[in-house]
Amino acid sequence: MQLIQDLIVYYADNAWYVWEQFYRQFLMAAYGVLFGAIVGIPLGILIARYNKLSPWVLSLANIIQTIPALAMLSVLMLVMGLGPNTVVFSLFLYSLLPIIKNTYTGIRNVDHALLESGKAMGMTKFQVLRMVELPLALSVIMAGLRTAVVVTIGVATIGTFIGAGGLGDIIIRGTNATDGTAIILAGAIPTALMAIIADALFGWLERKLTPGKKKKGIFSQDEATV
Amino acid sequence: MPKRIIGTIMLTMTLMLGGCSLPGLGGASGDSVRIGTLGTSESQIMGQMIRQLIEHYTELEVVMVNNLGSSVVQHQAMTEDQVDITATRYTGTDLAGALGMEPVKDPDEAMKIVQREFAKRWDQKWFDSYGFDNSYAFTVSKEFAEEYQLETVSDLEAIAADVRFGVDNSWIQRAGDGYPGFIEEYEFEFPNIFPMQIGLVYQALANDEMDVVLAYTSDGRIAAFDLQILEDDKQFFPPYDTSLVANNAILEEHPELEGILQKLSGKIDTEKMQQLNYEADGNLQEPAVVARNFLEEHHYFEEAE
Repeated sequence: MQLIQDLIVYYADNAWYVWEQFYRQFLMAAYGVLFGAIVGIPLGILIARYNKLSPWVLSLANIIQTIPALAMLSVLMLVMGLGPNTVVFSLFLYSLLPIIKNTYTGIRNVDHALLESGKAMGMTKFQVLRMVELPLALSVIMAGLRTAVVVTIGVATIGTFIGAGGLGDIIIRGTNATDGTAIILAGAIPTALMAIIADALFGWLERKLTPGKKKKGIFSQDEATV
Repeated sequence: MPKRIIGTIMLTMTLMLGGCSLPGLGGASGDSVRIGTLGTSESQIMGQMIRQLIEHYTELEVVMVNNLGSSVVQHQAMTEDQVDITATRYTGTDLAGALGMEPVKDPDEAMKIVQREFAKRWDQKWFDSYGFDNSYAFTVSKEFAEEYQLETVSDLEAIAADVRFGVDNSWIQRAGDGYPGFIEEYEFEFPNIFPMQIGLVYQALANDEMDVVLAYTSDGRIAAFDLQILEDDKQFFPPYDTSLVANNAILEEHPELEGILQKLSGKIDTEKMQQLNYEADGNLQEPAVVARNFLEEHHYFEEAE
C-alpha cells in the first residue's frame, strides 16, 4: 500500500520529468527503428532479389543481434562517444535483423503465379515490386518493425549508462535511493507500457495491412476470425 | 560485395550520427553546455543546481550527461570534449586518478595542486570547493561496533577474515586511495568483499546483509540509520573536497558562465550536503527538485530579472 502511495506521490511531483524521459526514450527507439527501416527494407528487398546474398546479410544481422546490449553500447561509446546518438546507432543495429529478415521472407513468399501474371501484364520489375510484392509483403514487414520497436524500447533503457537519459535514469536513481522500489517502478512501468502500446499499435497496423482485407466477400471468413 | 555495402552504410551512419544531433534529443548543437554527473545522488543534485543556475541566468541550452561510471570516466569525458562541465570532482580522487600523483593529506595543498595541474595539463578550470568534502569511511552498525568493540579501522584486523565487506564498485581497482593502497597501508585484507553500487551499502548494513561497508561521509543515511563511522587511524584517505571542473574553452566562449559557476563555491557544508542527499535518497525526491528547493531557499534566483 505504502508502495502505491509513494508511486503516486512520485508521479505527482515529477510528472513533467517522467514525461520528458518517456518522450526521450521513445524518440531514441523511434529513430533507431526508422534508420533500421531505411536501411533494412531496401536491403531485404535486395537480398530477396539476389538470393545468393541472403545468407551473408542475414548471418551478419544475426551476429549483431547476439551481441549483449551493454557490450554493444560500450564498444560504440569508444568510437562515437557519450550521448543519445550512440544509443540510437546501437538500436539501429538491433532493429536490422527483424526488419531485414521479415522483408526478405515477406517478399520471397509472394505467390509466383502472381509475379508471373504481373509480368504477363507487361509490368516492369519495379512495377511488380511496387504493385504486387510490396503490398502483399507489407503485413510481414510490419511484423518485423513491430518486433524491432519492442526490442529497441527495452534496450533504450540502458542508454542511461552512457549519459543518454531516458527512463533508465529514473530506474538507476531508484537503485541509489533507500527503499527506492517506488522510483524503480516509476521508471519501469512506463517502459513496459510503452512497449505494450507500441506492440498493440503495430499489431493493429499489421492486421490493417494484411492483404485481401478490403475485398469483402471473398475473404470474409478471414475477417471474421480477426 | 554485400559486406562492402553494409560497411559503407554503417560508416555513413556513424559519421552522420556522430556529427549532428537528432531533433528532439539534443546534443552537440551550437549554444549548449553539457554537464556530466556521476550516478550518485550528490553528483546529480549538484549537476542540477549548475543546470538551473545556467538556465536562469543565460539563454544557453543545458544538456545533462548523467550516470558516468566514475571520476575517471568524468575526466575522460572532459578531455575528449564530450562534456563541458563535470559537477562533482573530488581532490583526493583526482590527485590519485587523473593526475597520478601521491596522495596529499593537507586539504588546501591538495586543492592548490589540482587547480594548478588541471589548468596546465588540460586547460581546465578547477573551481573552489563547494564547501563540503565527501570522504570514504569504514562504517558499521552501532550494535556491531559494541559487540566487537570497534573504534578504529585497525580494530577490524582481528575480525577481517569473517566479516562481509560491501564497497563501491570503483574503489576496488582505483590507484592510490583504493583497495590495493589500503592493503599496503593497513596490512590486512577482507576475503569476503562485495562490490556494489554505492547507494546500496547503507541499506545492506542496516538490514544486516553486510557487516562493514565503505560509506561516503556526505551521505545522509549514515545519520538516518544511526550508523557508526570507524576512525581512519592511519589517515589512509586523503581529503576529498568537492568542486566543479569546467573546460576553459567553454568559459572563454561564454564569459558569463564563470561568475555563475562561482556562485556555489563555499556555500554548502558537509552537514548541508548530508541533508540534501537524504532528501534524494531517503525521501525519494528527484535531484532536480532538491536542487531547486535549495536554490530557491537561498535566494539564488532573485538577482536576475
